[in-house]
Amino acid sequence: MKIKFVTACVVLWTGYASATEVVTHPAVPMDQLTVTQLRGIYSMRQQNWPDGTAVRVFVLPAKNPIHQTFAKEKLQMFPYQLDRIWQKITYSGLGAAPVVLTSEQQMREMVANTEGAIGYIENSDELSKLKVIRVTQ
Amino acid sequence: MNYPSLKSFVLRSKLCLLLLLGSVVQAQAEGLTAEKVRWHGFISQGLIQAPETNFVNLDDSISAELTDLGVNMSWALTDNLRLAGQVVYLDGGRRYTKGTRLDYLFLDWTLHSDFDWRLDMFVGRFKNQHWLYSATRDVPFTRNAIVLPQSVYFDSFRDIAVGSDGLAFKLTRNTSLGEVELNWSWGATNLSKEQSQILLSQLAQGDAEQEYVHQASLFWRPDQSAWQLGISLLDSDFTYEKAEQDYYSDGAMTVQRVMFNGRYAAEFWELSSEWVQERLDISDFYAPGFQRNSFSQGWYLQGRYNLLPKTWALLSVDLFDLDKDDRSGRKFSESTGGLVPAYFGYQDDLTLGITYDFKDNLRLTMEHHWVKGTARLAYPVMPDLQHNKSEYWQMWAMQLMYWF
Repeated sequence: MKIKFVTACVVLWTGYASATEVVTHPAVPMDQLTVTQLRGIYSMRQQNWPDGTAVRVFVLPAKNPIHQTFAKEKLQMFPYQLDRIWQKITYSGLGAAPVVLTSEQQMREMVANTEGAIGYIENSDELSKLKVIRVTQ
Repeated sequence: MNYPSLKSFVLRSKLCLLLLLGSVVQAQAEGLTAEKVRWHGFISQGLIQAPETNFVNLDDSISAELTDLGVNMSWALTDNLRLAGQVVYLDGGRRYTKGTRLDYLFLDWTLHSDFDWRLDMFVGRFKNQHWLYSATRDVPFTRNAIVLPQSVYFDSFRDIAVGSDGLAFKLTRNTSLGEVELNWSWGATNLSKEQSQILLSQLAQGDAEQEYVHQASLFWRPDQSAWQLGISLLDSDFTYEKAEQDYYSDGAMTVQRVMFNGRYAAEFWELSSEWVQERLDISDFYAPGFQRNSFSQGWYLQGRYNLLPKTWALLSVDLFDLDKDDRSGRKFSESTGGLVPAYFGYQDDLTLGITYDFKDNLRLTMEHHWVKGTARLAYPVMPDLQHNKSEYWQMWAMQLMYWF
């Protein structure tokens, strides 16, 4: 009984936890990424996909709930940590921060139409022109 | 109250114009066309008062000498070669040299990049990437506090600690134990006469030179963990060549640092801490044949708490002892025949602060410091008895900052 209850909780929790999906341009040559690899991309350290295509990183504004869920559940980081990493690389010359988009709709369009793009959206059946990336530990 | 001079007003106006131009360029360059060249900047102005000290000014008044402005550019020349530069205007009163300066300008060559590791080489003038806040100590919204903990980020050393002209490497590698980042740098900073006098007092009329500064650091971010841990090492040599009429003699100094740092991130609070031991070896300088080798120690712990959605509170403790074997400063005072009070041998600071975000890029920070001791007030090699009159002193500051 106890095991069933725990299992139900885990199912409920994991269901809630996958409220966002990591998506890429359909031509990106990967189907899954580890959390570490995804962190490398969103920390702007990872510049290229394995086929050499440049990685184009898109985000939503820090206050956007989808961004907050993505940061916590997919990257296992808090949004303020991401802000600090991006501010550090931007203002000490180490690189460029991700491109900030204004809405989920714009995210869908930009990722679908930009070679090498990666972004995230709310869980949805509407995934045409986007590739869903499975994130593993 | 101290108002900026006409010259500094003109400089600030020019930089504001540059910032505005940067904003316009940024706004005009839409979508991916802006990816090759990126512009960013920041502008901030504050008020500060530190009575009974020489920290900001000498007349104890409220000062507007708390200005940080900057504009930067990153230009991707090829897939693995990038040019980055930043110009800043800083006014911290007497804390460090006032004026416009080239903060960094370097070529970043990515020698290798894949999902497991990345190696970059930097040539030119680059920022110090070895401490928690060293790379962005002049960028106000990247700091937890307006005035950083002086045990580690001593403002009199700012100009020589902020970066170097030389060569640096950065390696990041994903391992089974988490992410490891290794930084190495070698270079030097050209010291102007004004910068020398901030270090050595206005009695110094000769030429101070940094021969080299050699640094290495390691940061470790374990997988599945909220921790980041780091260690860094520094070795630097200075020489002083006296002027014909000079208070000091020819001399040499060696500064060596061992530092540990750690940071813990939770959703609504965060802790960060750094510990430093610094060896200072002085040969001649005060007089021919003079020799002194001492070890100072300091550390700070800062906690931030997310009180409300846009509001963070700060509690900071910062402790520093000029000589780890004389934490009360008594022996130091005795060595001067009692002329220099013992409180010049330590400096302990308790800070409370609050930060409010009006927008994602518009922030107001206010803080108050309660301080005991004056070991981290100018000048590091010559206690300023005339202006640092009290063992116990206080300081407050507020700063409004905007960035794009």
